[in-house]
Amino acid sequence: MIEFRGVHKTYDNGTKALKDVNINIDKGEFVFIVGASGAGKSTFLKLIMREEVPNAGEVIVNGYKLSKLKRREIPYLRRTMGIVFQDFRLIPTMTVFDNVAFAMRVTGASKREVRKRVPYILGLVGLQNKARNFPQELSGGEQQRVSLARALVNNPSLIIADEPTGNIDPEMSYEIMELLTEINRRGTTILVVTHEHDLVQAFSRRVIVIDDGTVVSDVAGTAEPPAASAPSAGNAVVADVLDTIQDVPTEKESDTVDAVLADIIGRNGGDEQ
Amino acid sequence: MKFSSIGYLIKEGFRSIKQNGFMSVASILVLVSCLLLSGAAYLVFVNVEAGFDYAYDQNKAIVWAVETADDQALNVLENNLRGMNNVQDVFFRSKEDTLANYAGVVGDATFESLQGEDNPMLDGFEVTFKDLALFDETIQLIESLENVDDISYAEDVADTLVVIRQTVLTIAAWIILMLLLVSLFIISNTIKLTVYSRRLEIGIMKSVGATKMFIRFPFMVEGMVLGFAAGLLSFGVLYFVYTYLISSLSLGFITLANLSTIGMLGMPVWAELLVCFLLIGTLTGMLGSRHAIGRYLKEESGVNID
Repeated sequence: MIEFRGVHKTYDNGTKALKDVNINIDKGEFVFIVGASGAGKSTFLKLIMREEVPNAGEVIVNGYKLSKLKRREIPYLRRTMGIVFQDFRLIPTMTVFDNVAFAMRVTGASKREVRKRVPYILGLVGLQNKARNFPQELSGGEQQRVSLARALVNNPSLIIADEPTGNIDPEMSYEIMELLTEINRRGTTILVVTHEHDLVQAFSRRVIVIDDGTVVSDVAGTAEPPAASAPSAGNAVVADVLDTIQDVPTEKESDTVDAVLADIIGRNGGDEQ
Repeated sequence: MKFSSIGYLIKEGFRSIKQNGFMSVASILVLVSCLLLSGAAYLVFVNVEAGFDYAYDQNKAIVWAVETADDQALNVLENNLRGMNNVQDVFFRSKEDTLANYAGVVGDATFESLQGEDNPMLDGFEVTFKDLALFDETIQLIESLENVDDISYAEDVADTLVVIRQTVLTIAAWIILMLLLVSLFIISNTIKLTVYSRRLEIGIMKSVGATKMFIRFPFMVEGMVLGFAAGLLSFGVLYFVYTYLISSLSLGFITLANLSTIGMLGMPVWAELLVCFLLIGTLTGMLGSRHAIGRYLKEESGVNID
């Protein structure tokens, strides 16, 4: 899935961001990337997204050997991953629906596909009632869920979350992490960059620690999904959404998405607007 | 980019124009001023050109007969002149006619004393030519005819006309070229502003895997629509101002409709102007926005994880 082989990255200004990094992340893993600011976490992500190229070594992502990747192939690499940013990166002039639909339209999806898929995904993150709202009308946690929906909408095999809980309050953070856990349970590889130790400990997954450009620790996770022990497990909305997700087949398996959608709306809808 | 996206992308272009309402209007207005100045330069050129054509038509020479030529010799000379290929028309001008031009110029007494046998003028023929390019050869041929004393013609005037015409053409062409460059620069700057204000959007588009063309298309639509609108508006303004100037100020300009045959592209001038304005507007819009978005499009840049 993601493989770093002897990767070095030095920026033009002389900053040595990564030194001989070797990492292997398999399909379906849930990995925390932890490190102080300036440790090289962002460079690590940039290399995965092919926003930067290494000076030495090889990066392989979703079957793409990035050093061999032609420029015009970069967009297609990026379609295999969903990205969640710390600052949400939602377009303020677009509704929640359009913000999510946008990512689909980029791939050339038809109107029909968009109309079918977006409500379904918004349902997954519990925002089907906010489709017509604008981002600034939502709470931080809700905005991050929109961002997550956008990352999910193209059914990527990899989700990269860059400090996804950095700008939201702790309780919401757990909601987001639980959603990510659930997405992971359904087979999607998840990469979470964070420096919130509480979260990392609560979810006891594989943790890669980067310091001064090198991997100083890589510890396998001890726990299976920790949803039951998370502080916000009692939160009705999250519980409901998680419930729903477990029942919802992925789009590939289902030819009755509309029926499922109606089901989700029926259970979660109507109480927020 | 898939075909199914085109409708959506065009809509995005219009959305951007609406969203950047003020800048859109401003850039249309600046583009309109450039097009107006270019169009005005062109119209001045066309008018000067038409004026010169008229002046050329007036170009003629006067062939003076020798003093000793009698009526029969004059007839022979007239027939010889008429027989020449490049001669359009021949008109006899007696020495009395010529002298009459000087009435009031010289004193009355002097004028009287010059009448009759003492008339110092010569009989002559006003000759108009078909093709001015053959002017020199025709003059040489006339000089070789019998009973020709001298030929008066405005060779210098013709040469001057050619020089002036060349100068006007050059100046008009430069003005138009400069203004086109200015237009390109201005529309590019406007689009740069909208690109800048939407760089977040562009970054997100790139992070979700948008191709270059997908990102560029709405901006190009925006530029083309602005350019097209400017072209249409410029034509309207120029047409009405020009028509108004002709009708109310009698400036001696030629009406656009009457200029029908002198357009550079062989179309009626007004149609030519409309087509040029629309083409120039749309093209500058397209190229300007292409240029403006250039550096935001490098795949490596702009996703901006930090």
